Amino acid sequence: MSIGLLLLAALAALGASVVLGRSLPRAWLALSVAGSGAILAAAVVELAGAPEWEWRSAFRIGGEPLHLRLDGLSAIFAALLGAVGALGAIYGREYWSDRHAGGSAPRGRAWWSAMLVSMGFVLLSSNGLHFLIAWESFAISGYFLITLDDRHRGAREAGWLYLASSHAGTLCLFAFFAILAGRTGSWDLGPMHGQPGLAPLFWLAFCGFGVKAGLFPLHIWLPSAHANAPSHVSALMSGVAIKMGIYGLVRFGGWLPLPAAAGWVLMGAGMLTALFGIASAFAQNDLKRLLAYCSVENVGIIAIGVGGAFLGAAHGDAPWGRLLLAGALLHVWSHGLLKSLLFLGAGSVVNATGTREISRLGGLWRPMPWTAAAFCLGAAAISGLPPLNGFVSEWMVFLGLFEAAADRGPCAWAAGPAAIALATAGALAVATFIKAASTAFLGAPRSKAVSGARECGPLMRGPMLALAGASLAAGLAPFALWPALARAVGSWNPRWAGAGPPAPLLPLGAANIALAALLAVAAAWLWRRAHANGLRRGPTWDCGYSAPTPRMQYTGGSFSGIEAGWLSWMLRSGRVRHPPRGLFPADAERIEPVSEAVLARVLEPAGRFVLRLSAGTRRLQHGRLPFYIAYLVGGLAALAALVMIK
Amino acid sequence: MTSLLELVVRLALWLLLAPLLPGVVNKVKAWAAGRTGPPVLQLYYDLSRLWGKSVVMSGLASPGLVAGPAIAWVALVAAAMLLPLGPAGGALSFSGDVLLLVALLAAARFCTAWAAMEAGSAFGGMGAAREVSFAVLSEAALITAILSLSVQTGSVVLDGMLSLSSGPGAVLLAAGLFCVLLAENCRVPFDDPNTHLELTMIHEAMALDHSGPPLAVILHGASVKLLIFAVLVSEAVLPLGRLPATEAAAALAASVAFVTVGVGLVESLLARLAFRRVPLLLTSAFLLCLFALLLAWKGGAR
Repeated sequence: MSIGLLLLAALAALGASVVLGRSLPRAWLALSVAGSGAILAAAVVELAGAPEWEWRSAFRIGGEPLHLRLDGLSAIFAALLGAVGALGAIYGREYWSDRHAGGSAPRGRAWWSAMLVSMGFVLLSSNGLHFLIAWESFAISGYFLITLDDRHRGAREAGWLYLASSHAGTLCLFAFFAILAGRTGSWDLGPMHGQPGLAPLFWLAFCGFGVKAGLFPLHIWLPSAHANAPSHVSALMSGVAIKMGIYGLVRFGGWLPLPAAAGWVLMGAGMLTALFGIASAFAQNDLKRLLAYCSVENVGIIAIGVGGAFLGAAHGDAPWGRLLLAGALLHVWSHGLLKSLLFLGAGSVVNATGTREISRLGGLWRPMPWTAAAFCLGAAAISGLPPLNGFVSEWMVFLGLFEAAADRGPCAWAAGPAAIALATAGALAVATFIKAASTAFLGAPRSKAVSGARECGPLMRGPMLALAGASLAAGLAPFALWPALARAVGSWNPRWAGAGPPAPLLPLGAANIALAALLAVAAAWLWRRAHANGLRRGPTWDCGYSAPTPRMQYTGGSFSGIEAGWLSWMLRSGRVRHPPRGLFPADAERIEPVSEAVLARVLEPAGRFVLRLSAGTRRLQHGRLPFYIAYLVGGLAALAALVMIK
Repeated sequence: MTSLLELVVRLALWLLLAPLLPGVVNKVKAWAAGRTGPPVLQLYYDLSRLWGKSVVMSGLASPGLVAGPAIAWVALVAAAMLLPLGPAGGALSFSGDVLLLVALLAAARFCTAWAAMEAGSAFGGMGAAREVSFAVLSEAALITAILSLSVQTGSVVLDGMLSLSSGPGAVLLAAGLFCVLLAENCRVPFDDPNTHLELTMIHEAMALDHSGPPLAVILHGASVKLLIFAVLVSEAVLPLGRLPATEAAAALAASVAFVTVGVGLVESLLARLAFRRVPLLLTSAFLLCLFALLLAWKGGAR
């Protein structure tokens, strides 16, 4: 089937599911899965080598003719949209069902489909005006999805923050597209390398798309929005929506002439984002907020790759630039799948226990073995461990950086520090996910919340297992994904098209397959050996301590205590203490909340300053007539003085 | 057929030689303290005894308590197979294999820490938290060292990076990598492998709730890791590729023995660092590697 027909089918199915979603949940599920599947199929057809799909119509929206296109680059993002859209819909059917979520479930279904449609249009639009319309409706449907649970103050505040920062970003994009249309004389988008005067516009796009992607310090909206949204929405936001920002950066970085500093700045921002994101993630005690900060880190990794590709393209189309872009795009997939998996897993935990606080969980592997296994696999994969997909994409980015550094060109000044930053972030990611997964799933239950936990149903389990399987498959056969990546890279920079795989993906895949087989064999063998020797269950030994209680276990906070101490200047947690007093202390308390560094130290003081300034200005407005007349006379006199001087 | 035979010999060499290193370290320590000390082959005896013992597993633990050590062991042995053995090269060599090696070490760390958290003991959590937190600094130092080798030789393949000498930065690199070796293998001054029941231990705290074959696998994996780092430090510094094959092999063996004795001497002569000083020493190791990187940049082979 041709791409056009598939996309038409997707539009029809998703459009119908927006309308029917409110009243007919079953039909909504079938339609939205079919629509997402059609998007995925169209992307796969495009990536498998079909010619670039472009469609111009005389039909006008807002006075502009409709112009859609699906090339290799947008197909990468469309494939992710289709996959996560379908799996999230299946999960959401059980997780946010009418019985469970009450009145917000119908709204949730309709906005879900609306969000998929608008993100699809963002990827397809090749007209600045239509891009803005799609972008805005995507942002707004995101807002309604985040605030589905509007009885919660946290969700309302998160939604407001999201809406405000999203619009700050959109403001930059308005300026960007309007100036672009003004300079080129048309809203139509496409490669515009012939006009070097357009280069400074990239900075507007950088700010606008950077907010959506969550680049430091524009990420302020991201943690609270992803933490407070329903989990299938978090999966879509974190897996796909923030990638739209990346898409915008890559897309317009490829179409516009770039300023010389673009690659350097993007790489620097990527390094800062990766380190800041993962350091904050490690300190978090809220499971979903931890995952959200980890998304910030991964956006940083992708930004390092994209920035490196900009540098490579500017320095004679160096082959390492191609590798970095391919690595970054593969990481878009890796992170999209893995973060969806982890958020779905977190949703299943929240559903079963009613808390997101890691330190209240524990021992969940026994009641929830499937969730635990899927979450553990996702945790290992996103920490960049072989033989899983997160490792393959990070390895490609690493290899590109190493080759750039070994080149000893001027770009080595960016590549060397980026490699070191990436390694540090990787080690912190291991620490973060050991903390998250082991505190939640291992050991003894730390609170009553866990005691009633039950495994989630098949509709929630299925998507998680599918995502886990996809992550394993992509890790074992990375060379199978190369043609798709090569196509996307070729459509970004035609001079990089055509050449064979630059990275030795074949030996890496072989090593991964051998490793996976050996891991399974060794684990099974040791398990059998332990059983053959005789395996007894006993109490935890813990150096012979006779009466251990669950409260003596390491909590999330104690696990990250060392690192939080190193970074106290950044994460300076406001300590809330109620110390034990007297000979027989009754109760004592110590809470160490982790502060939102940028929001609390920069934005809120700035906001307070503006408010104070405004309050000062308001004093001029007191309702006494003589003063108003005096203002008028004063104003007129000033104008007259101005005219006289001129 | 020859390649299969070579693989088996290589594997046997790594697996059989590794437990010798802790024995040598302990012998050196005993010699320095004027004691007789345990036999050099003590770890072999321990391993065979543990392999036949039954297992006591915490009632809280999942099958991960057994799977974790197994996976960590495979990851370490796979990392060892990637490392070139002087003139013999690595078992599998491709562009970027060095990054796979670093990732495999991280995977081993993940699984060891995971298994430590299984029993829900405070000691396990303490050890795992320390292990992963200090690893952040040592991994930064390790990747900087590798980057400096890569910049020096213009190669991203282990075979190419390690066959030449690391040039003018060799001394800095050796010092930095030796610190990383001590930290990653939990030796003095970062951790004392002899302590028990102390609040400052790292590796032992993670292994406290293991017994029988899983414990044997953890101990053997730790010795393989020590050998990996000893070989890595030696090859990073010595220009083995410029020597004839037999001499290169002899030089590698001598250098590994030298490093091992060095670990033993450090352990005899130094006290363990106070805990808050550990990041300081690791940061110094990182800086040493960073200066080696700068030297490689300015004065490399090409």
